[in-house]
Order: sequence, then structure tokens, then C-alpha cells
Amino acid sequence: MHEYWLLIVGAVFVNNIILARYLGNCPFFGVSNRMDTATGMAMAVVFVITLASCITWLVEKYVLAPFGLEYLETIAFILVIASLVQLVEMFLQKSVPALYRALGIYLPLITTNCAVLGVAVLCVEEDFNFIKTLVFAFASAVGYGMALIMLTGIRERILVAPVPKHLQGLPVGLISGGLLALAFLGFLGMV
Amino acid sequence: MLSAILAIGGLGFVAGVGLAAASKIFYVYVDPLIVAVEEALPGANCGGCGFPGCSGAAEAIATGKAPPTICVGGGPATHAKVASILGIEIKEVEPEIARPGCYYGPQEADLKYIYDGLNDCRAAMLLGGGAKECPVGCLGLGSCVKACPFGALSMGEDGLPRVNASLCTGCGTCERVCPKHIITLTSNSRRVTQEYTLDQCSAPCQRTCPAGIDIPAYIDAAGRGDYLEAVRIIKEKNPFPLVCGRICVHPCENECRRNLLDEPVAINPIKRFVADFEMKSGSRIPIEKAPPTGKRIAVIGGGAEGLTAAFFLARLGHEPTVYEGKPHLGGLLRTIIPDSRLPKDVLDWEIQGILETGVTAHTNTKLGRDVAIGDLLQEGYDAVFVATGGWDSQMSEGLPTEPYQMLPGVHLLVHLSFAHMAGKAPQLAGDAMIVGCGNASIDAAHLLKTLGAQHVHVVFRGSRQESPFTDEELQAAEAQGITFHFRSAITRMFGRAGDLTHVEVASLEKYVPGQTLQQLHEQAALQHIPVQTLVTGAGRFPELIYAPVYEQRGEGDQQELVRTDHWETVVPYAGPFAEEDVGIFRPGEATTDYKAVVEAIGAGRRGAASVHKRLMGEEVAAPPGMIRRSTRVLTVDTLEPLSPQPREKMPALSPVEQMANPEAEVELGFSEEQVRREAQRCLRCGLICYRRPLQEPESLAKSA
Repeated sequence: MHEYWLLIVGAVFVNNIILARYLGNCPFFGVSNRMDTATGMAMAVVFVITLASCITWLVEKYVLAPFGLEYLETIAFILVIASLVQLVEMFLQKSVPALYRALGIYLPLITTNCAVLGVAVLCVEEDFNFIKTLVFAFASAVGYGMALIMLTGIRERILVAPVPKHLQGLPVGLISGGLLALAFLGFLGMV
Repeated sequence: MLSAILAIGGLGFVAGVGLAAASKIFYVYVDPLIVAVEEALPGANCGGCGFPGCSGAAEAIATGKAPPTICVGGGPATHAKVASILGIEIKEVEPEIARPGCYYGPQEADLKYIYDGLNDCRAAMLLGGGAKECPVGCLGLGSCVKACPFGALSMGEDGLPRVNASLCTGCGTCERVCPKHIITLTSNSRRVTQEYTLDQCSAPCQRTCPAGIDIPAYIDAAGRGDYLEAVRIIKEKNPFPLVCGRICVHPCENECRRNLLDEPVAINPIKRFVADFEMKSGSRIPIEKAPPTGKRIAVIGGGAEGLTAAFFLARLGHEPTVYEGKPHLGGLLRTIIPDSRLPKDVLDWEIQGILETGVTAHTNTKLGRDVAIGDLLQEGYDAVFVATGGWDSQMSEGLPTEPYQMLPGVHLLVHLSFAHMAGKAPQLAGDAMIVGCGNASIDAAHLLKTLGAQHVHVVFRGSRQESPFTDEELQAAEAQGITFHFRSAITRMFGRAGDLTHVEVASLEKYVPGQTLQQLHEQAALQHIPVQTLVTGAGRFPELIYAPVYEQRGEGDQQELVRTDHWETVVPYAGPFAEEDVGIFRPGEATTDYKAVVEAIGAGRRGAASVHKRLMGEEVAAPPGMIRRSTRVLTVDTLEPLSPQPREKMPALSPVEQMANPEAEVELGFSEEQVRREAQRCLRCGLICYRRPLQEPESLAKSA
């Protein structure tokens, strides 16, 4: 049990997928302007990363590894993740329309996001078993969502603050994101 | 190598087949119409339509829950595109544009404190309603500018928002964001039906104007030399600038803030100059009109009030027809105002302009003799507006002993008495009601009984104690079959074709001024009394709207509204100066609304607005928060030191010249230089702001 707690704390705070590993920067700045879009994105990320990591783990274990094809990991994972997201989207639209509407446009947006692929690859590289993969992927995604929502909170407040003209918009967003990452540096060495 | 190809190929194959199967299994039908409509919408997600974003609007439009014109952001081009996708005709909508309603930025207005916080009006509003003294002043932090999805707003150097009219789509986002409700949407219809309310900036002169003209705005335009713009502003509230410019009693000038310093601004002579400028130019400025509604309205009376009502009904998109008993239009303006004050050719030019707006007029057509209200409604008019005038026209024509029956079942007591003396009074049947006859009420009731009325009701505004009769007199009358209704008002009349059938009487026991008919109805304060004759002690008929009653027929989906030959009356809402605002035959209405032509013009415009509200299915009531005579409005009673500047003198004929040519116009009108100088005297007042002397550089240095 202790092992899993460390895994979770490590994935959420210490090795935060975006603030420590710098994966998935595009949506991190792209959708952090408004809180409602940020929470929608965070939910979609949690959903997709968890699911994608589990499936890619299975693909690695039962398709690639038996034939010694680990070097095809990247292309195979992209293929699997892309079709998986498509499938999930169709399934949700038919069966859980409420969730489909809530995740909305963000689901296809993160199809080939590097954070999704990154977590999948990390799970394989770390040689996790299936349960560990599930926990790690979920925790990483939660860490991503948390960072996204924190930055959105900051940017919403900056919106009404007097910012020098040349720094308005993305520049001040990048600075805030950098400062947030620096703050998370404080967790280093905890795990 | 082979295994690699097989593995990736296999994965791809499984994924492809899986997706193909899934697209069949999880197939969801999406109406292609919705997709097509959404593509035609601008995608700004401004929310001006009231739906969650453009996709929400597209769904509503495609499923018929919303008209194709609902997109305010896209404008007519988008409406046409959407309509062509749906294959339907569109109904034109009136263009709207945002208009900021504050004239003094934070640098110039009085402040309560220096605000240094979040750069947002809504945040500033939380600190005691903002830094400005004025409760409706623009806070100048530009929340509207940031909110505008179309980039049509910018912040001027004076700290007030500016609207770029070519970019504004009238989506209303700024109106929803502004915590002070200062920036608002305006359209032609909104402007002409507007009344001044407490939550907007208004100057003392415009609040006093019975017609409600935006006086500071037109003086400002005249001062800039834009005389035709000044005429356009005046004509949003008054179609008679030439007439009013000559004979208006200008109560506005009594309230002019310059009275605190020297003399009032010559508001009316400036109006006359700009109106004369338009007339001398030989062409008329175009009058903005709402898209046609196809509704036809008969206006009874071709005087100042009737013509004003017809003018504004035309501007609101309806088709008004004026019926005038005399051979000429113009009413009292033509018959009692001398040529030396109002030359006939000037009046003719003004009336011609009103007719060209889209007003049809039938002269020599008298109500009661040539047309009847029941027949007009039968003919298909959607409403009849009665504006028969300040004097009872039949009296001023020389009293006929057999007065025409003008309104169904309604008689003036004075007509009935004269006719009775001449032995020519009509025989009455059924029950009768008396209102506003004061001391003569009981005698009038006896007269009605003599003429054949069964039962007589007497309606009093005051209580039993306040009535002019003793208890014994009242009891004796009650014993004779006369019913008294104290603290009551007549709110509606109902009838069929040419006959009055019953009257709605409201008890005013629990009445609070400003309550609407709907609220009285909820208090169960209304009762319907069958009455065939109504007698009023007033010297004239009140202005009234007769409208047909529609009946719901059929069941379920087959339900439709069918027009019947029954009608009801609607009372135009009372203007800001009315003493009381409920019911027909209001006390004081005959003396307050008709002292001057400008009051008749104000009543005519409010009548047109009331007809419009009725036809559009809205409740006929004054806008909430309308400034009334009893409303306390924030104002200033001292001015900072300003250098006095004498008022321009109106050039006029000398008494000798007047004697030599009594027909010639006495007042000659300002020259252009006089108008420019006089317009500079205007302080451009708001509630508490006004144009102050420019601060000297020295005093600035001292205060710094």
C-alpha cells in the first residue's frame, strides 16, 4: 500500500507531468483562459490518459514484447491511442450523452497529445504491472488537471490586473506557468 | 521485419475494422440541418440570442424553437443565409445599436474617493457603488469594451466608451456586463417609445419637456453646426419642431440650470432655427422606421395629438389612418393660433412631412356622423385610437342639440343636459354609470332615470366621507336604486360592435400608485358591471384605445385565435406628469395634458406607444422606474462660479411694424451666429454633472 501512496504523490506533485516533465504544454496554455473550459479539459485528460495507458500496456505486453518489437512502441501507441479515443467518443455519444457533452470538444483535441503518449511510454519504461500502470496514469492525469486549474485561476486574476501591454496574454501566462513550476520544484526529493 | 509489418498492420487492421464496426453500432443521428445552420452562424458565442453559444442556437433554429433571425451578432446577412438553409422567409428585424448614456468621464465628474483596484467596473461597483458621486455614472474601467465580442467598443480619452457603429451588431453583451446599466441597446422603436427613468442620466430640461425631447443632445448638435442631426433628435419625440419652435410654452427653460446663474438657454429658439433650416433646405430628413408590421390603426382626430400618434405609429412600422371631421388637418393649431405666431404655410409644410412618413388621412370624416368605432373595428383595423382633442370639438363647432354618438355608449353630461332641455335626448335602455360628475352626480342619476335607465351606478375616486353629499342624501339616493362605488375607478369598457355591454370597475382601497391593471386583478380588486350607458362630467372625451377581443377556438394543436366582434378599451399609460395613473377619466388629466401643444404631442406619442405595446402583446404600462412628478431626482442647486453670458434676444417686429402688418410673423428667428453662441451657453447637464469652467493651468499646478 505504501508503495502506491508514494506512486500517487510522486506522480501528482513531485514528477508532475507538466510542471516537472514539461509534457502537454499546448493545452496547458491554450485552454487555461477560462475556468469552465479548463475543468472540462482536466476531466477529459483524466479519462483519456487512464484509459490509453491501460490499453497501451496491454498492447506492449501481449503484442509488441512477444515479438521483440519494442522499438515500434511510439508508432504503435499513437495508432492505438488515436483509434481508442475515436471509439470512446462514439461510445459516449451513443451511451452516455451527458458525459459526451461535458467532455465535448476536448476529447478529440487530446487524441495525440504528448502528455497522453508520454504517460503511456513512462508506464512501459518503468516496467509497471497493470495495477501500477492504472494508478500511475490516473495520478499523473490528476496532476495535469490540478496544474491546469491552478494556472487558470492565476490567469483569470491576471486578466483584470494592470499588466504591461507587451506582456498581456500569452507572455504573462508563460511567466505564471514558469513560476508555478518553480514552486513545484519545492516538492523535489519528497519521494 | 515481417513480424513488424504484421504486428503494426494487424494493429491497424483491428483498429480500422473496430472503428468501422463501432461507427455502425454507436451510430447517432445528427440532423444535418443543425450542422449546416451552425456553420452559417458567426461562431462568436456571444450569447446575444439567449442560447448557450452558437451550437445551442443552431439546434434551436433547426428544430423550429427559434426564428432564423435570432442571431443578433450576425445581422441580416446571417439571417438570410440561415433562412435559405431552412428554406423559409425571414421577417425583417429592426437594427439595434449600443449607446453609452453617460457624458462626463471620471476626470470631469465628482468623485467620492480615488479608486485603485481591479481594473473592472463590476469590481469597482462593489465599493459603495463605484467612485462617482452620481449613482448612474459610467465608472470608466471599460468592462463593456473588454466584453464586446465584435470589437465595436473602445475607450475614449475622456474615460467613456465609444461605439463604432459599423462594427456594433446589437448583441447586447455590453448591456448585460455594465453593472450600472448605462450602456444600452437602442433602436428606432426603443427611442421613440422611451420614457426617462431613474437609472439613466437626464437633464432637468429634458425631464420637464412634456414631449420628452432629448434637449441637451439637440443643442449639442446645433452647436456643432449639425442642424439636421438636431432635427432628427427632436423628431424622435416631437414631429412638430416648426410649430413648437414658434408657439411652445417651453417649460424646459424654466428648469434650465443656467437660471441659477443668469438666464435660461434659449432652448426653443434653437429648435425653431434648426426646424426652419430643414424647411428652408427644401428637402426633408429621412425618418427612420421599423420594419412593417402590417397592423392597421385608425386614429380619430387630426389635431396635434392625433397627427403625433399617427406619426409615431408609422415610425413603429404600423399603418395609421387619421379621420378628421373638419376639412383640414391641424386642429386647434389651425383654428385658434393666429398667423402672426404660426403662419399657415409653415403648419402645412409640417403636416405634409407627417403624412409623408406613411400616414393616410381622411378629412371631412367625423366620428359619430360618418364613421363609428364598431364599424372601423369591423372593417379590420387592429386598433382605434381616439384623440378627439383638448376641447370637446362639438362644443367648439357650435353646439348641436343632437350631439353625435362618438364613443359607443359614452355621453358627456353637458351634451346630454342640453339635448334634454331641447327635448331631443336619446331614450336610454339598460343600466347606466356616472363618473366624474361631482356635485351633479345625484341630479345626473335622476336625469338618466328620466331618460329610461334602469339602474344607475355612480363611481367616485374619493371615499364616502369625501363625497360632496351628506349621509342622508346618499341613503335617499340608494333607496331610489342608485349604487355608489367609492374609492373606485373605471379601468376598462367592454362592448360588441356599436354597443357598450359592461364596464370594469377597480376598487382603489388597497391601491398603491404605480400598480398595473394586472396587479389590481391579482388583488381581486376588479369587478365587471353590466352597463349600457356611461356618462362623464368631463368636458371632453379621454384618449382611449379600442381594440378587438380575440378568442381561443379549437382544441389541442388546432387552437387558433379568432377575432370576434367584441371589443375592449385600453387606457394609454399615464405620462410622467399625470396626477394619478389608474383608470379612464383620471382626475386632472384634462387640465394637465392639454394646456399646450407640446403636452398634446407628449400624450399622442404615449398613445402611440400604448397602441404599439398592445399590438405587440405587451402590458400597456409605463416603464418601471419612470420619473413622475412625485419622483425625487438627484440634482444640484448651486453652480460653481461661471462667467455670466447674456441670453440672445429674439429678433422681432417692432410694435409699429406689427400694427402696419398684423398678418406678418412677429418673431423672426435666430441667426446662425446667435444659435452657435446660444448653444455654447448650454451646460450639457446630467443629473449632477454639467460643463464646468476649464481649470486654469495655475490652479492645476497648485493642487498637484
